[in-house]
Amino acid sequence: MTDDTTSTPHEEDNTTDFGFSRVNRGDKAGMVRGVFDSVAGRYDLMNDLMSGGIHRIWKRFTIELSAVRPGQTVLDIAGGTGDLAAKFSRLVGSEGQVILADINAAMLTVGRDRLIDKGATGNVQVVQADAQHLPFDDNSIDCITIAFGLRNVTDKAMAMRSMLRVLRPGGRLLVLEFSKPTSALLGKLYDQYSFQILPAMGRLIAQDAESYRYLAESIRQHPDQETLLEMMETAGFVNCRYHNMTGGVVALHQGFKA
Amino acid sequence: MTQHDPALLSAALAGIERALNQAIALSPTSHEELAGLAGTVLGVEITTFDLTVYLEIVSGIETRLLTHCELPTAAFVRGTVEDFASLASSKDPAAVLINSGIELEGNSASLITLQQIISRMDIDWEAPLVATLGDVMGHQIAEILRNIFRWGESARASLRRQVSEFVLEEARLTPPKAELEYFFDAVQSLSMQVDRVQNKVEKLRAKVEQKRGQP
Repeated sequence: MTDDTTSTPHEEDNTTDFGFSRVNRGDKAGMVRGVFDSVAGRYDLMNDLMSGGIHRIWKRFTIELSAVRPGQTVLDIAGGTGDLAAKFSRLVGSEGQVILADINAAMLTVGRDRLIDKGATGNVQVVQADAQHLPFDDNSIDCITIAFGLRNVTDKAMAMRSMLRVLRPGGRLLVLEFSKPTSALLGKLYDQYSFQILPAMGRLIAQDAESYRYLAESIRQHPDQETLLEMMETAGFVNCRYHNMTGGVVALHQGFKA
Repeated sequence: MTQHDPALLSAALAGIERALNQAIALSPTSHEELAGLAGTVLGVEITTFDLTVYLEIVSGIETRLLTHCELPTAAFVRGTVEDFASLASSKDPAAVLINSGIELEGNSASLITLQQIISRMDIDWEAPLVATLGDVMGHQIAEILRNIFRWGESARASLRRQVSEFVLEEARLTPPKAELEYFFDAVQSLSMQVDRVQNKVEKLRAKVEQKRGQP
């Protein structure tokens, strides 16, 4: 899953993060697109191997917390290979609508094919869109999810304002993203895993160590739980809270539009 | 919401949900009965583990187990693991609901109906074996498993009878059931007699007070 714009922007020098490196903001979209173009075909397989299948459990909890009901409209941003969208498609039923959005065409193509294979077609739209400029009407969406995509967005605040705009009053945003482990020991183990094992697995399975090194670095550059919570509140979301999962390796943030 | 790691709980529930739906799939006679409960959500709080889970009956062939649910619950029950174990194994769930420590909010009818459906479930274990191993092999293995299961049932009943005989007759560790029931009846009868005497004493005391109050 991706949204291939970049991380924290620095207005003064017109650069931004690309993992641990600094690059020109204008170059970043293409570089991140390159990463996800490279991993798109084996993205789900790699996710299963890298997380031991736990990413399915994290997504399962996200779906539970979404409390999506038949007839609702759900927008899955950076929805990539479409695993959340497929489940939402069943929950909203024929009266509802699921929009699978991603800025990366390669990931979206994989996602669309998977959805067709799973029979999730009648109520699913596939849209290539930038999270910072969502091409949807104001107050038109009941629930927005963005799973493992927000860290790749250049201007997260702008993306959140865009999400708030399209949400209906009472609608909710769920951000599932890697975060900061709550225990120091787990943090050290996690670092070893991310920077030693993860690129090695990427090299073996996807023949692409660099892309997986970028994924690990971009996770470290992502705001921690409390910072992201503040960002959501600043953007205008209310009743914001988060749930740490797997010792804080991943956090699910939730906020509502008043 | 509980304080448990949602990922751990979700993983456990995912496994149980899968097993439950598999069992339902192998019990076609339950489908129609379960369909009657479609859309029903039951909440269960197990106080022993500070754990709340929800069971949503989606259709006659599908259930969902959730850690978080915003749908209205038809019934919400709260109790310890022991309470729920006795409810699940009881032949008279209504009596267990009334007499045990289980707290119930909402309508107990759907809960009792579900318990009865589960207790009546007739799971066809042979079907997946036949589908995997073929008719002959699948049937043979299913027969062996059935025989082992029957032997286990009969061994369990026999062991229970023999242990009971040893405890009552050989070791004399507990009194026989009839003796115990006679004792309980006598205690109950004595209790009622004491109540009656107490009532009479109260009446006499009231009369004495009344007479004292007269000039």
